[in-house]
Amino acid sequence: MTSELRFEVNGEPVQVEVKAGARLIDVLRNALGLLGTKEGCGNGECGACTVLFDGRPVNACLVPAMEAEGAKVTTVEGLVGPGGALGPVQRAFVEKGGIQCGFCSPGMVMATEALLRDRPDPSDAEIRSALVGNLCRCTGYVQIVESVQLAAKLRSENGGSRG
Amino acid sequence: MEAAVAERRHIGKEVPRPDAADKAAGRAAYVQDLARPGMLYGKVKFSEHAHARIKHIDTSRAKRLPGVRAVITAYDTPEVRIGFLRDNFALKRDKVRSLRDEVAAVAAIDPDIAREAIDLITVEYEPLPSVFSPEEALAEGAPLIHEVDARGKRVTTNRLPLEYHHTSGDLAAGERAAKYIAEGEFSTPLIQQSCMGTAGCIAELDVAGNLTMWAKTQIPFLAQKDFVRALEAMGLGDRNARVIVPTLGGGFGTGLDTHAYEYISILLAHRTGRPVKMLYTREEEFACLSPRQSAESRIVQGCDAEGRLTFRRAYVMQDNGAYASWGATYPTVMLLPVTSIYRVPNIQFDADLAYTNNTYAQAMRGYGNPEVAFGIESTLDELAEQAGIDPFEIRMKNRNEPGETTPMGLRITTCGLGECLEETAKHLDWKNKRGHAKRRRGVGMASLIHVGGSGRIYRSDGGGVILKLDDFGNVNVSYGGVEMGQGLHSALCLGVAEALGVKPDKVFINQTDTGTCPWDVGTHASRGAFIALNAATRAYEKVRKRLFALAAELFPAEVEANLKKHRRKNPDYQPPDYDVRAHSRADNFELADSVLTLKDAPDEPWLKVDLARFLRAVHFRGQQGQMITEEAFYEPKSELPDWAKGVGNMSATYAFGVQGCEVEVDEHTGEVRILKMVCAHDVGQILNRQTLLGQVYGGLAQGIGFALYEQVQTREGRILNPSFTDYKIPTIAELDFPIHVHFVETEDDQGPFGAKGVGEPGMVPTAPALANAIYDAVGVRIRDLPITPEKIVAALGEKRG
Amino acid sequence: MSGFDYHRPESLEDAFRLKSEQPDARFIAGGTDVMVRIREGRLRPPALISLSRVQELSGIRHGDEIQIGAMTRVAELLRDEELGRSAPVLALAARTLGGMQIRNLATVGGNLCNASPCADTAPPLLVLDARVVVRSPGSERELPLADFFVAPGETRIGEGEIVSELRFRRPHMRTRATFFKKSRVRMDIAIASLAVRVDMDGKRCVAARLAAGSVAPRPMRLPRAEALLEGRDITAELLDELGTVAAAEVQPMTDVRSTEAYRRHVIGVFARRALAQLSGLEEAR
Repeated sequence: MTSELRFEVNGEPVQVEVKAGARLIDVLRNALGLLGTKEGCGNGECGACTVLFDGRPVNACLVPAMEAEGAKVTTVEGLVGPGGALGPVQRAFVEKGGIQCGFCSPGMVMATEALLRDRPDPSDAEIRSALVGNLCRCTGYVQIVESVQLAAKLRSENGGSRG
Repeated sequence: MEAAVAERRHIGKEVPRPDAADKAAGRAAYVQDLARPGMLYGKVKFSEHAHARIKHIDTSRAKRLPGVRAVITAYDTPEVRIGFLRDNFALKRDKVRSLRDEVAAVAAIDPDIAREAIDLITVEYEPLPSVFSPEEALAEGAPLIHEVDARGKRVTTNRLPLEYHHTSGDLAAGERAAKYIAEGEFSTPLIQQSCMGTAGCIAELDVAGNLTMWAKTQIPFLAQKDFVRALEAMGLGDRNARVIVPTLGGGFGTGLDTHAYEYISILLAHRTGRPVKMLYTREEEFACLSPRQSAESRIVQGCDAEGRLTFRRAYVMQDNGAYASWGATYPTVMLLPVTSIYRVPNIQFDADLAYTNNTYAQAMRGYGNPEVAFGIESTLDELAEQAGIDPFEIRMKNRNEPGETTPMGLRITTCGLGECLEETAKHLDWKNKRGHAKRRRGVGMASLIHVGGSGRIYRSDGGGVILKLDDFGNVNVSYGGVEMGQGLHSALCLGVAEALGVKPDKVFINQTDTGTCPWDVGTHASRGAFIALNAATRAYEKVRKRLFALAAELFPAEVEANLKKHRRKNPDYQPPDYDVRAHSRADNFELADSVLTLKDAPDEPWLKVDLARFLRAVHFRGQQGQMITEEAFYEPKSELPDWAKGVGNMSATYAFGVQGCEVEVDEHTGEVRILKMVCAHDVGQILNRQTLLGQVYGGLAQGIGFALYEQVQTREGRILNPSFTDYKIPTIAELDFPIHVHFVETEDDQGPFGAKGVGEPGMVPTAPALANAIYDAVGVRIRDLPITPEKIVAALGEKRG
Repeated sequence: MSGFDYHRPESLEDAFRLKSEQPDARFIAGGTDVMVRIREGRLRPPALISLSRVQELSGIRHGDEIQIGAMTRVAELLRDEELGRSAPVLALAARTLGGMQIRNLATVGGNLCNASPCADTAPPLLVLDARVVVRSPGSERELPLADFFVAPGETRIGEGEIVSELRFRRPHMRTRATFFKKSRVRMDIAIASLAVRVDMDGKRCVAARLAAGSVAPRPMRLPRAEALLEGRDITAELLDELGTVAAAEVQPMTDVRSTEAYRRHVIGVFARRALAQLSGLEEAR
């Protein structure tokens, strides 16, 4: 049994048929081919599937697909500008070594984007508090914190925009 | 050959990785993201008992479920034996020996149907008595896990037929010479490697039966060998297996063996005639993919009145689980710290392994070294206390120095241990902080030795590199090891750019593929950059030789064309007096930043030829056209040890380091708060400072998890915490303390640019450094990991009486 | 996950109607517990009725009584500044629930109805003397939160009933409260948690409420500990006694996360520390 789901992804309206029991992550990856959002645990524990849902960071693995009806969702692909120009958060992670195997990176980038929209100049404690739901096994997090700090700087240079 | 350190353009700096941008953009394709035309989805059915005879498997309902294309068991597929002792099987027949034994599998048109089909398979078991510890397994009358060996010969014990021993010097004399002796029993648990990307593969056979595997592996070529063997067992002899490695969502040792699920995927692909993708869920990763090996050890060390170590005994007992994988070879690496950390003349090492009905274990970062370093570095502090010597001083007194050969036969060439110890003590403010338990704060340190020039565990420890230059001046590099996040591609890219003389953005590392890359034993033992760059060195020397020989012929014509163009734009230009043809000798050329020049030529723009243009001149020469592709295979200078004697110089060089920490212990809750961490590592030479730091921080975080938080808990063979909900790896909040990192560059002559391997060392000394600091803070010593608040509170309670 | 129905009613009436049409359908709030159980195969409902758009379940209303709609996301709770002023202990606890992603999905009602003994919002709501409003087709009842939990996963709401709101009297200005949570790592289910609320008159404790999580089959009040404190002057000796009483009063067990002995011990430590902090007494170490 399927239902029609209409919502907006990365600024574009989409319409997909979903099995009513599907999750948002299944719609993004399978129906829409947006493979950047990763499933690390399926339980809301690792944060690899973090997307912005009406501007707020959530675990796409926990959101029933039908809950996205009418919502505006942003995935990691949505932070990439025209011609493949990385957004400031992505550029910062590249610059500062916040990426090793990269599996946690889309989720980490989205969580950082959410944090910086809410707190453009976060303290170390605020960064750690915001990213506590994003697990990384490779980096030991040090260069991730440095990436977030640089991202804050790059965003403020950009006039606070995500472009 | 290599530019002197001061002139280096790329090596030694902090350089963003070439693969980071796509990962940040969500464009990197992991096995999770791959699909093949006509692909089916596979799923495994696991045992419901830890030890049982299989009476009957009913697959009929599963086969009838719409969307299912195959259901297989050991009873309707050829037998595929796996594992280095050949004691395991892709699908189990006759009996199951642990709860994660694979008994059946399904291929279906989508993962949900596959999952449903698995539930429709019913298996009838006859439970057997089971054993869950080495003690139980080795007791008289214990049920046998394996009744026959791979050759069909009857087995009469659960003890594995592997001999690990080392005796050197005169133990009795060493014990007599000891004024102080410290002894302890230590245990380290099963640990989950916890890659963020779970295990998976796609198996695809062509019509002739040749296999292509997209595999989450660290050993593409050894896997190829294993898969060829499996194809033979399946009646597909003389077929090829090609292993392609996609972007890896972590490794940490999980990819060092081949896994039953991979063979099952091949069997399903063979049965259905379609590609089959198998992906483990996080629960399956926790419960059914082998964790890090656990170990119980007894360590005894003695020193004389001045604190010089006189002997060391180490005995290790390992719960091997139901089948043998690389956990069973941890003792080979344990030999390093046991025989060679600090100068100890008299050593005894023995290890026993027992089959049980627990899960079997595989490799993880450090591979046995952290397990025994914990006990060695903890008892060393106890010795220091007995002898009234400061723990830093006792380490300095016994430290390894360059030019020594250890009892195992390890030839220590470069060794920065002394400087690492001093830096650690300095940055911890050791003299002021040690022994001041009033504010429940303490400091502790521990050292490490590890292989730094690969570790020879197979008849070849080599790896090759192919450098292929093209008409655009690009250098395509093929290397058979893997990038799993550690930064291998970055090191290779920068190393080739540096030494060949091209811009890093003209260097492209090809995907690891046994079809196109030279053989490599696998990316383990921290060997990736060491081997790849050493091979690349030999290959780019060949490239440069050919380029410069060709330049002797072709450079003058290119320069003349340049000059003509230059004169057209600048009619009054007078060129300097320099005979290009006469100077165009092979030994007079240089290539830097992708530009070819003559070493002694005046600095004029028309005297420089862009590499791409030159390569086109080389290619488009009519009958004499050439393409420049060169390859080299490198074997490090090392020996394959005799494991039963525990002797052999198994690496081309050795890495050393020290970690120290300051902690504060809450005596009431038992919580340990790390106030500061210092990591000092002898790395030979920094290749990419950014990725090197990443390896140290990452190893440290895993070391902290190992020391304080992580444990795969089991009861009667069942894993009780198979999810991140209850298996807790450190979050960003746990790493919120300053970390001071100091690199010692000892410039090893075997290392490319002088570099040593650094992937694993970061995890080795963390646990004992913390244990030692906790002892300094509150006077309790915990000898079984993880050091939890529960254990500290209990120990403090006991101490108070 | 096999295909099944998903409904998004906009009123309680519609929600109840859908449930009566499909009695085996399951209500879903934030999804953070239900979706996990569905994925693990422990729950296979033929239909889900999402409460995310039901009007009557949303919003936080301030007055002499604070009313929190059951569908209030935990993150919303944290953003409500007035709540942060009037009942800061709730925000203290809510901040420890998951990470920001979970808090944007998890709801207060869901956290309570899931009835885990470890529910982070339960101890603070217990010390706030919260009441649960339960709706069913055509009726409404109220019960104290202290009576709401029956056993792990089990509450006093019946099949087809929906928790619509939490209510508690706005604490007066003199009230002080705090919340401690022990877990293995920072984002984690509690090993032991304790919410403490006191009204002090100088050194005298006029009223006390203690509620513990993860140390019994239900989140629980500690009446013996409360009785020990009420009407007494807070001294170091009393705090020691309090620690012993509180530790003895809880009923923890050993599981994958921690041991019975440690949990009991930590409750005692927390009780002493909380009272030392709230009463202004420097804790003797």
